[in-house]
Amino acid sequence: MTRPDLALATLSLLLVTATWVNYFRRVPSGNVPARPVGSIAAQGAGLVLAALALVVAGFPPGVAVPVLAGSAALFAALFLWLLTQRATPVGDLRVAVGDRVLAFTAPRDTGAAFHTDELLGKRTLLKFFRGSW
Amino acid sequence: MGPDLARYGVRVVALSKDSVQAAAAHRQRDGLTLGLLADPELKVIRQYGVEHHKAVEFSTGSFTLFGMPLALLPSFKTMAIPTSLLVDEQGVIRWVDQTDDYRLRSSEARVLEAVAAAFDPVG
Repeated sequence: MTRPDLALATLSLLLVTATWVNYFRRVPSGNVPARPVGSIAAQGAGLVLAALALVVAGFPPGVAVPVLAGSAALFAALFLWLLTQRATPVGDLRVAVGDRVLAFTAPRDTGAAFHTDELLGKRTLLKFFRGSW
Repeated sequence: MGPDLARYGVRVVALSKDSVQAAAAHRQRDGLTLGLLADPELKVIRQYGVEHHKAVEFSTGSFTLFGMPLALLPSFKTMAIPTSLLVDEQGVIRWVDQTDDYRLRSSEARVLEAVAAAFDPVG
C-alpha cells in the first residue's frame, strides 16, 4: 500500500538534498550562479512538499514522516538562510589602482616570515581569501 | 590558472585569517603550490580594509565526503573579503577586484584579462 504522506516527505527530502549537492559541488570551482533562482525555487518547493506531507499525515503523524519532512525543511531553510548571508561589506578598501602596496610582514604556512619587500622586482597576484574550511 | 599566469611571470600570494598550522594543512589537503600567508590576528586584513565582521563560516566539525570539504554547523567569524590585487615589479597596484557577494570570486577569465592588460608576456 502506498502512503501519500510518506511519498511526499521522501520526495521533499530528495529534492532538497539533490539541490544542496548540485549547488555545493560547484563551490570549489567558484562556479556558482550569481542568481541561483533554480536552487531557491527547488528549496521552496521542498518546503511546500514537506508541509504538505505533514498535513496529509494528519494526527498523530507517526515517526517517519516528521523525521523526513523535518529534515527536508531544516536543510531547505538553512540553504535559504545561507544565501541571505552572502553580501560582503565592501567599501573600506584602503588601496586603489596606482597605489603602492602597504608594507606588511606575515608568516608563511611554512613558518618563515614574508615581507612585502620580497614583491619588488616581481609580478604578483596578491589575494585575500576567506580561509580554508 | 598557474601556467597562464606563469606566461606573464605572475606568481600568486594568498593571505587569510588562517593560522600557520591551518594554512599548512590547507596546502597539504588541496595540494596547493602557491604561497599561503597566515594572518590570524587580522593585522594585514585590517590594514588593507578588507575585514568582513561576522561572516558565516563552515568549519565546526569539518569532514571530507567524496573529496568535498564539508562541515556540520555554520558559525560566525571575522575574515577577509575575497579581494585580488595585481602588483607590478615596482610594488604598484595595477588592478583591484573585490566581490560584494562572497560566493562569487574573480573569475579566471577576468584575472587573466587584467594580467594581459597590465603586463607583457615574459620570455
